[in-house]
Amino acid sequence: MVAVRFHGRGGQGAKTASRILGTAAFVSGYVAQDSPIYGAERRGAPVAAFTRFGRDPIRERGAIAHPDVLVVADASLLDDAAAHVLDGVTGQTVLFVNSSLSADRLRTHLTLPEHVTTRDVTGVALQQLGAREAISALLGAVAARVVGLEWEPVRSAIDRELRDLGLAEPVLERNLTAARLCYDSVEPARLPQGAVQAVGAASLHHPAYEPPTKGTARIAAAGNSVLRETGGWRTFRPVLVADRCNGCWLCFAYCPDGVISMNREDRPVVDYAHCKGCQICVHECPTHALIAEREQEGGVAWTAK
Amino acid sequence: MDSQMMTGNLAAAWGARLADVDYIPAFPITPQTEIVETLATWCERGELAARFVSMDSEHSMMTAAGAAEVTGARVFTATSSQGLLHAFEVLYSISGWRAPLVLVNVSRALAAPITLESDHNDVLAARDAGFLQIHAETCQEVLDSILMAYRIAEDERVMLPVIVNLDGFTLSFTREPVTVPDPDSVRRFLPPFRPFHLGFTASSPHALGVAVIGGTTYAYFRHQVHLASRNALEVHRETAESFHALFGRRYDLVEGYRLDDAEDVLVMTNAGASTGKAAVDAARARGKRVGLLRLRVIRPWPADAIRQALRGRRAVAVLDQNLAPGQGGILYQEVAACLYHETARPRALCSFVGGLGGQQLSDGAFQAVFEQTAEAGISGTGRGPVLLYSAEEHREMTQLQMVAAGSVRREM
Amino acid sequence: MWQRETFKKIKQIPREEHVLPGTALCAGCGGLEALRLAAKVLGDHVVYVNAAGCFTMLAAYPYSSFKGSWLYTTMGSAPAGAQGIRDALDVLIAKGRVPKDEDVKVIVLGGDGSTYDMALSSTSGAMNRKLDFYYICYDNEAYGNTGMQLSPATPFAARTATSPCSLQHPGATQEKKDIFEIWRAHRPPYIATVAPRYPLDLAEKFARAAAYTGPKMFLALSACPTGWGYDPGATPEVAKLAVETGLWPLKEAVNGVVTHTYIPKRKPVEAYLQLQGRFRHLFEPTVHTEAIRHIQGQVDAYWRQAIQEQA
Ligand SMILES: Cc1ncc(C[n+]2csc(CCOP(=O)(O)OP(=O)(O)O)c2C)c(N)n1
Ligand code: SF4
Ligand code: SF4
Ligand code: SF4
Ligand SMILES: [Mg+2]
Repeated sequence: MVAVRFHGRGGQGAKTASRILGTAAFVSGYVAQDSPIYGAERRGAPVAAFTRFGRDPIRERGAIAHPDVLVVADASLLDDAAAHVLDGVTGQTVLFVNSSLSADRLRTHLTLPEHVTTRDVTGVALQQLGAREAISALLGAVAARVVGLEWEPVRSAIDRELRDLGLAEPVLERNLTAARLCYDSVEPARLPQGAVQAVGAASLHHPAYEPPTKGTARIAAAGNSVLRETGGWRTFRPVLVADRCNGCWLCFAYCPDGVISMNREDRPVVDYAHCKGCQICVHECPTHALIAEREQEGGVAWTAK
Repeated sequence: MDSQMMTGNLAAAWGARLADVDYIPAFPITPQTEIVETLATWCERGELAARFVSMDSEHSMMTAAGAAEVTGARVFTATSSQGLLHAFEVLYSISGWRAPLVLVNVSRALAAPITLESDHNDVLAARDAGFLQIHAETCQEVLDSILMAYRIAEDERVMLPVIVNLDGFTLSFTREPVTVPDPDSVRRFLPPFRPFHLGFTASSPHALGVAVIGGTTYAYFRHQVHLASRNALEVHRETAESFHALFGRRYDLVEGYRLDDAEDVLVMTNAGASTGKAAVDAARARGKRVGLLRLRVIRPWPADAIRQALRGRRAVAVLDQNLAPGQGGILYQEVAACLYHETARPRALCSFVGGLGGQQLSDGAFQAVFEQTAEAGISGTGRGPVLLYSAEEHREMTQLQMVAAGSVRREM
Repeated sequence: MWQRETFKKIKQIPREEHVLPGTALCAGCGGLEALRLAAKVLGDHVVYVNAAGCFTMLAAYPYSSFKGSWLYTTMGSAPAGAQGIRDALDVLIAKGRVPKDEDVKVIVLGGDGSTYDMALSSTSGAMNRKLDFYYICYDNEAYGNTGMQLSPATPFAARTATSPCSLQHPGATQEKKDIFEIWRAHRPPYIATVAPRYPLDLAEKFARAAAYTGPKMFLALSACPTGWGYDPGATPEVAKLAVETGLWPLKEAVNGVVTHTYIPKRKPVEAYLQLQGRFRHLFEPTVHTEAIRHIQGQVDAYWRQAIQEQA
């Protein structure tokens, strides 16, 4: 059995990618299974999805704790502790990261397994589709190639899954073209040969009663959501061209997340640790003093903690 | 301490009054209505310093009750049957908030078919909601249990809501002598409510009832509710002792009646247990060595006390005034489970289902129960669920069916 | 003519933030935009009483975005939760157990699905009892948290996950329920509609409401990039067109008397519809002229009457 785990952010299409792989494996004649983890994720929050396939009936269900292949839709997730991307990864795990950086660049601040491939899937999406989030078909195609599936079943899986989502014909065609590019850009990997992990019995904790101040689902640290950084959600960051700004405060007024503050000179200061990159400020600035810059990985937004 | 004739409902109202509650959200439903009517009058007259509010449904009523409790008020409310089920999702919220309010449920069978009289499917449906449950046999016990309920609920080791249950009609509308404890003693028994983890004030903001993501967090908080409920066994013991010392009446988790030399034991709850005790007396008069075990606290489940009371008996019969269709009696299952590991467990365990929707439990029915239980004890084979229904009831029902079907016509 | 008294210029919007970042809500959430602005007027001495919806994620263990308090209740009974809290505070203050200066404002925060249907009994009850509270309905015109299904606030012809489109039935066949009028029938002292693209109008209304004791009801247009199918950066643009086409009237009702706080020149509704994926089927592959004309007709009829009444 091959176990593939996808990590993405809500809206990036990790779930659809896992379905494309599931369908592609199924169409190729394998026994297959795919599932997402459903939380209350909104667009941008970390999500995971799972695909298993093989020749024998699949007895495992739910989350994949020890993936053979890991597909990461957004390099910023590697730095996001809440996403648990590298959990259960061993030296044997095959890792694919959507990133314009090389594996070696990523290794400068991360401990990664031996087999790491990176491709700028987002770049392909922007170029071919003109959209920054629609990368499900592209990721699905990459994953299918890495696990050694033929293009034809992958093509038909993308067609089925995207059609199910109600995509119009021309969009579908563009997706297929972009997906083929991504498929061809990677090589099938040598997958770890089902080495069974030796597992001992878990050491159990005996739950003890704690006073209701602690033992109740309550938060006394009011406003502590700032501890959770959402800067990694961005594909584009708003950047100020200071001499164009007229100090009108509109960007401050419209930012939904309240991450723009106005300094003493009435110039906006963006809290990049939390700015989600919605581009509202960029759209609404009357003087075009805020411009959108493609987020560079390894940049300040998500490496700085 | 003066004693006076009062209904179970009035006794419940007195419980709330003596507990000096702050807030009473209400919604009418038979056979509970008299409780909130009484409280409304007392609030109006200033005899009870609580705010009384008529809500738009039990769902709203329970939400308001829980929300007021987590703001720091001592809250009382009451409902029954359809009302309890209408509020169902809120029950789980309230226990999750660790809001130690007291809810009186006046048991009434559930629709359909809609009816007014009692059985215990309503309150037992809430058995997993994280509320403690105390089921009362007498009007006196209703009042006393409410006072005990507040003290147990508000204990830092527990902090869970409590349902005090009484049977519709057989207690709610039945008058018997009740001693009303004097308020000063009650004040000594029940300290004022000053919870550390609750209260919405400007200077100490906090978020409660928040979402959790993932099973690790969820499981932890659910475990806490379970552990809190288990703690209530010990807190109940302490509370019962202190209550006994102050008021002279003693309540344990379970109550044994003529158990000492009993070879067969009947297990019951609520007001029906009184009838059961009478049946025990009658059987004893016929020379049968039988006794009765009344389960008073249902949550937390008093497994040890039950095991201790039933250990070494020949046969045990659980008479459930409820029915889990497709399964049988609800309490039977729980009694069976807690006897499984008992080495000296009874030779036979029998399940009887009776008293549904106010159905009479006749002397004859009890006699049949004792006979079948004895036989089971001798043969070593349990039986049930036996649906108690007399031949006479069946004849009456057949008549009604004929009328309903149109086979009975008016003479012209 | 309606005039703003407290909030005349944008620089009067308080700098302090009360709903802090790090939330799990989508980038560009119009509802969050509205809540953030409202909170700037409401301050931190508040307790939000929440009904199930997207905003439930604003307090997810162990993080809360609020400097004030929060209680999540159920989808159908947040106003009853507000009742319990308000009553308890009143009682505890009267009994001297909570000092008067520790009092907080009680604010229901619920989505349209909750507000327009499931919690309507509970809301009606609270208004009927003249409960002193605020109600903020962030209206994203669908059950958002469960993936954008039809709600009674979904506008005619919009596509949702449970109002799929065919040639015969272009999206939702029901009309958006008029919750403003349902509220108004209860005669609360203050009701207002707001749109965060008009921050001064919004802030002014929250400031005015503070003068009234009793139910203060707010209906906030909450443009939703995820559910409505447009790029997050366009949230203010979508809200602006909702107002400028006349589809989302900005108004208030003080003790039942309605005043429109902004009279739009009324662009054709297409300008608004065309921006959003949920209406795309009205334009592609063929144009549903009749459905569009129907929507325009409804807006025109509304304003004919509104202007007549205001005159
Ligand atoms: C009693 C009940 N039924 C259904 C749900 C599932 N549910 C959670 S949020 C939600 C949608 C709420 O819609 P709305 O009020 O418009 O808020 P939004 O999700 O759009 O923010 C539903 C149906 C629930 N939580 N409780
Ligand atoms: S991009 Fe969006 S979140 Fe970031 S500062 Fe601009 S408006 Fe705020
Ligand atoms: S909206 Fe543009 S011009 Fe106005 S303050 Fe912001 S950056 Fe400056
Ligand atoms: S789905 Fe819509 S309303 Fe919900 S958080 Fe996302 S943008 Fe906001
Ligand atoms: Mg909604």
